[in-house]
Amino acid sequence: MLGIVVDLGYVAAQTANALFYSSILFLIASGLSLIFGIMRVLNLAHGAFYMVGAYVMYTVFTRLVSGAEVGVVAGILAAGLVLAAIGYLVEVGLLKWVYSKPEEVQLLLTFALILVFDDTVKIIWGTEYKALQSIPWGSFRVGEYLIPVYYIVTVAVAVVVAFGLWIMFTRTITGKKIRAAASYPDIAAALGVNTRILFSLTFALGAALAGISGAMAAPILTAYPGMGTEAIVLSFAIIVIGGMGSILGSFIGALIVGFSRTFMAIVYPVLEIALVYIVMALILIIKPTGLFGEREVERR
Amino acid sequence: MARIMTGVNWLIPVFALLAVVPLVAGPFYSRLVATGILYGVAAVGFNVLFGYTGLLSFGHAMFWGTGAYVVAIGTVKLSLGFPQSFLLALGVVLLLALVTGYLSLRHTKIYFAMLTLAFSQLVYAVALKWRSVTGADEGIYGIPRPLGDIEDYYYVVLVVSFATLFLTWKLLRSPLGLAFRSVRDNPYRAEVVGYSVNRVRLVSFLVSGLVTGIAGALYSPLQSSINPDSLYWTFSAAIVFMAILGGSRVFLGPFIGGLVYVFIQDIAMGLTEYWLLITGLILGAVIFILPSGIVGFIVKLAGGDEE
Repeated sequence: MLGIVVDLGYVAAQTANALFYSSILFLIASGLSLIFGIMRVLNLAHGAFYMVGAYVMYTVFTRLVSGAEVGVVAGILAAGLVLAAIGYLVEVGLLKWVYSKPEEVQLLLTFALILVFDDTVKIIWGTEYKALQSIPWGSFRVGEYLIPVYYIVTVAVAVVVAFGLWIMFTRTITGKKIRAAASYPDIAAALGVNTRILFSLTFALGAALAGISGAMAAPILTAYPGMGTEAIVLSFAIIVIGGMGSILGSFIGALIVGFSRTFMAIVYPVLEIALVYIVMALILIIKPTGLFGEREVERR
Repeated sequence: MARIMTGVNWLIPVFALLAVVPLVAGPFYSRLVATGILYGVAAVGFNVLFGYTGLLSFGHAMFWGTGAYVVAIGTVKLSLGFPQSFLLALGVVLLLALVTGYLSLRHTKIYFAMLTLAFSQLVYAVALKWRSVTGADEGIYGIPRPLGDIEDYYYVVLVVSFATLFLTWKLLRSPLGLAFRSVRDNPYRAEVVGYSVNRVRLVSFLVSGLVTGIAGALYSPLQSSINPDSLYWTFSAAIVFMAILGGSRVFLGPFIGGLVYVFIQDIAMGLTEYWLLITGLILGAVIFILPSGIVGFIVKLAGGDEE
């Protein structure tokens, strides 16, 4: 970068890109982290939930609602609700049977769900990329570059969700019950907490977050089969970097991954993807609980 | 009975059965079965670490893909012969296993799995971006096949695969193999008895990576092309699936799992373009109906012990 005149408008535009991308990543990763933190389940199908969210947005936006602004808001709400329902059904119908089984069984079952969801999406929506064609709220100009207002909306949604999750887990009875059920399920149950329902709700909430993430991504990144396989592995990187189970960790992890990918793609594209996994491996080696994780690591 | 079913004696009839395939089936099915054999060897390699040493790797695609890529690079870009490229591939795979194993074995369980995932995605990223060497997303084409025809190369695959399986089985029956299991069942006791738990795990990691890498190194000449998908995390998950499908507590379980996996794919693809859906449903069903896998189930039916 030495000797290169830095175009501030360009930097601003790329920063906006990175913030948008980080917000999308945070929304999906926070759901994954929530589910792992509370239920100790690594849900590979989380990326598939994200993908389904993007398709729900596409259908609501292009078929059901007229007007871009209303369409996007309706699409986000619809994706959240549809994925909450799917998440609830998956938890009650499948996952609750494998909690006592080893990790690989949970990984394989949720991997099986990816295969099923990927093809189901193809059956319903076809194999081609689904673009929304228009982005609501227009854009504003910084120097020579146009930045969509939609980016700012997405960042705002991510911040509100982060704050909402924090309030929920520290200030509400339900949040405290969920944390109690996660830490001491037997004691919580003995005190009259229905851990079964709380687990179902947690999973539904995590799935809804993935759905909202996919819905918010769709206007910019389009919807396509298999979009979840890349999202899930990046989400794993994020929750590992931030600390599995930590919402703040997911937030910081998403910023690290979002910014390093966006700016590496410009500065040194060869390392664009590799850098994420180098950081992930380094964190795991040096501090496996992640930047903000608390739980002690089992040595053996 | 159990000893016969799970032991090395079964290598001979399975070998004989598979040796007939190119004589009765055409190139299409020869290629399919050869692919199944290689998937099976890859899954056996994975299972040295998983079933015998108790460590779940979620990044075994890196050994498979690295073996496949080095043979492709050796034969196409460096104009080496297949034997030289194959040996080069084994060397590179061993080196990769040494580095990633040393670093990953600082942890076990989920953190170990996450580290192997990170390393395999790193290797994937290298293959995807290092265009001059790996051909980036297009991969490498025109990899020469030793002996030319599929039906002839099939026997190279078969012989090298079964030599690998035999040596792996010998190793697992040796004191070292017992050390693997002792570390799996109770690492504290193994330490007290005098094993260096970390060293035993590292040796298991090396063997595991090498066996999977051998399978990969034989795979790219079979297909005559290779692309980054062979290194992607979904293939690591597929390897885990094959091992569980066949049965991770029986030596030949993962091998049969690999063969069955290829046929599930082929049959599902013949039935519908939505073959992933079928594969996913079968995978889900296996978890619930056959938790100890196909071979594990048969062994149980026969009243035998596992392992």
